[in-house]
Amino acid sequence: MRMPGVTGRAGCGRGEGNRVEADELLVLVAGGDQKAFEDLYALVSGPVFGLVRRVVRDPAQSEEVSQEVLLELWRSAARFDPGRGSALSWILTLAHRRAVDRVRSVRAAGEREQREARRAHHPAFDQVTEEVEAGLEREWVRRCLDRLTALQRQSVTLAYYDGYTYREVAERLSLPLGTVKTRMRDGLTSLRKCLGGVA
Amino acid sequence: MSVLDRLLRREDLHSLAAPYALDALEPAERLRFERHLDGCELCAAEVRALSEDAVRLAWSTAAPPPTAMRDRVLAAVRTTPQMSAPEPERTTAQLPPHVWGTRPPPARVRASRPRPLFVPFATATAAAALVVASLFAVQAGQAQDRLDAERAQSREIARVLAAPDTRATTDRDAQGRSIGVIASVSQGRAIVTLSGYDGLAGGHVHQLWLMHPSGQPRSLGLFDGDTPLVTSGLDNSATSLAVTVEPAGGSAQPTTQPIVQLALKSLGFGE
Repeated sequence: MRMPGVTGRAGCGRGEGNRVEADELLVLVAGGDQKAFEDLYALVSGPVFGLVRRVVRDPAQSEEVSQEVLLELWRSAARFDPGRGSALSWILTLAHRRAVDRVRSVRAAGEREQREARRAHHPAFDQVTEEVEAGLEREWVRRCLDRLTALQRQSVTLAYYDGYTYREVAERLSLPLGTVKTRMRDGLTSLRKCLGGVA
Repeated sequence: MSVLDRLLRREDLHSLAAPYALDALEPAERLRFERHLDGCELCAAEVRALSEDAVRLAWSTAAPPPTAMRDRVLAAVRTTPQMSAPEPERTTAQLPPHVWGTRPPPARVRASRPRPLFVPFATATAAAALVVASLFAVQAGQAQDRLDAERAQSREIARVLAAPDTRATTDRDAQGRSIGVIASVSQGRAIVTLSGYDGLAGGHVHQLWLMHPSGQPRSLGLFDGDTPLVTSGLDNSATSLAVTVEPAGGSAQPTTQPIVQLALKSLGFGE
């Protein structure tokens, strides 16, 4: 039995004023408005699922984590304060944290195998640049990532897109911890400049 | 600890701002750094800026989720209670001023023309400076064990939601009280939510039962207020769920008439 009024729909946000809309919707959702949640879902499920899948990779697990995040939005919408940041950023920060938590617990389970595999085969790190897809925002981020030094780019993307801790990044790149921390900071700051930061 | 040690330690912690913004700290380190933020204005400002930068990396990854996910999430929302907003005085007390900074919240500017969702990085992140702080608010507002319990429960709920045969139903009575159930026959699991059934006399609980056409009711657990009850071991021959009021601690068998009963047929049981 399907619930009435529920139809499948891709959750990629389109249309105007989406960012403001998300803020307003989240406030309505906090008041228990299920219709507003449906609209919020349409706006944010694409960004949330895409980010989670980028980090978690496994499709089934990505779906599970995304569901967890979206349900958490419903549960904790009242904790969002619209005066203190945009809803989309709040949501994506939450999604990233959950995705990273998941990928790490999965990795911890198969850590030994991973280490063996790592020794046998040193993978290419710059997957981001290989996974270019259409879309202006992708193009922008890719271009700005390309402008970083290789070590800055690898440090940032291994952490953000692949969910590695900075210690793991240091191990994978055979760099001292201090160097990785500095590359991460420099990488993020350069991105800010390239993408047109609001310093 | 000598002054020099302390300075070195501070220096060391400062350098964790970028890994923190990228979610690249281990849990213990993350906590230590968040504690450090309480007393380090410099770090808080840096974390704010670096977190804005990190969120930009997310904009480029959007992808349409599987269509079935929408059904599951919306079904879950129908039966999942919401957390209340943190009480104002607690918020103020537990939000260190430096986390927000002295900068007033950025003014929101309405788009004067249609624009795609992910393009304007600058405007996108102008208000995002305080994202990290919002997360602090959530975390500071609750005891860690409470958070852990909620996370564990969310995971269990997510597991039921992820089943291919998950279905949901709700039943509302004339007084607006309702019972909501999301269940998967293949997993034998269900998430059950009561709402509106408060005003329980002290020393009493709501107990959930699985009813069979032949045989004794089987207890599925006790409700804790309006928190969803996640149960397992539902067999296909079960016909309905029932809730009774029982003495604290629950009973081996129902001692009162059910206050609400819900047939499981519409959820795929007994097919």
